[in-house]
Amino acid sequence: MVEDESKTLLDWDALEVGETFEKYEYTLTIDMIDTFRRGVMDPEASFPTISHKVDVKQYNAKYRDNGSVNARCAFYCYNAPRAGSKLTVTAWIADKYLRRGKNYIVTEAVSVDEDGRLIDRVITHELKQPSEVGKKWGG
Amino acid sequence: MGRLDRNYQIGDDVPPLTKSMTQEAINLFEGSAGQSGPSQFTDEETARETLGTEGTVASGRMSLTFAIEMLRRFFGADVFNRTGSVDLRFLRPVRPGDTVTFTGNITAISREANGSRVSVEIMAVNQNGNTTGAGSGSAVVPNAYLPVEE
Repeated sequence: MVEDESKTLLDWDALEVGETFEKYEYTLTIDMIDTFRRGVMDPEASFPTISHKVDVKQYNAKYRDNGSVNARCAFYCYNAPRAGSKLTVTAWIADKYLRRGKNYIVTEAVSVDEDGRLIDRVITHELKQPSEVGKKWGG
Repeated sequence: MGRLDRNYQIGDDVPPLTKSMTQEAINLFEGSAGQSGPSQFTDEETARETLGTEGTVASGRMSLTFAIEMLRRFFGADVFNRTGSVDLRFLRPVRPGDTVTFTGNITAISREANGSRVSVEIMAVNQNGNTTGAGSGSAVVPNAYLPVEE
């Protein structure tokens, strides 16, 4: 795995709960929506924003670590995004905790479209020792 | 005014949803956000290096999406897409070739300012009977969709 030295190596102990990342903007294209719907086998899937993993995107842009495993994810629907809409995401570190000797980070993000409509909110608990998956569940 | 033909009561089952996972589906899910590089979801070698597994796994967010689909079908998109939520813990990896069935059961109904919140317990079980995910979800439905109080 190639490490990007321009990023900050994660120091879990020093990571501050409440750290808010630079806003992230993207345009949700019809192609993105169609591809998402084929992937989840649901032609009416309304929140293709899920696959964009926007709650960890800015974290991953700033920090480098050993990778992660999604341990828990909560998603709140407010308004289905429209094709072609420009979405602005605000993400922050909502929490961190140590459980059974393993480090977790909780990120949270809200997405808003260009009309100011609240789209969704996502909260993710990431285990920062991804090799635990192989140890526990093997091949 | 639309027909008020929906009715929710504690103990009701949510119609289950079954999904067969393929690597193609995983690749589409990841690719839909423009993620084209190798990852633990799309590349076996990266999965071995990062997770220590023999093969790829599906993002937990795919299971989250399936749970959302199950509840959207149950509550209706008009309700769920505006007030719905799902909170899911990922207990076992979901791999290509797995078939996962999502089920739900109404556990609580509570009054809120704009209707009543119907809460659902959610389970996801694979073809071997192993639980891959568990959690809860809810939506705020109009009180007109509930049984008349005596």
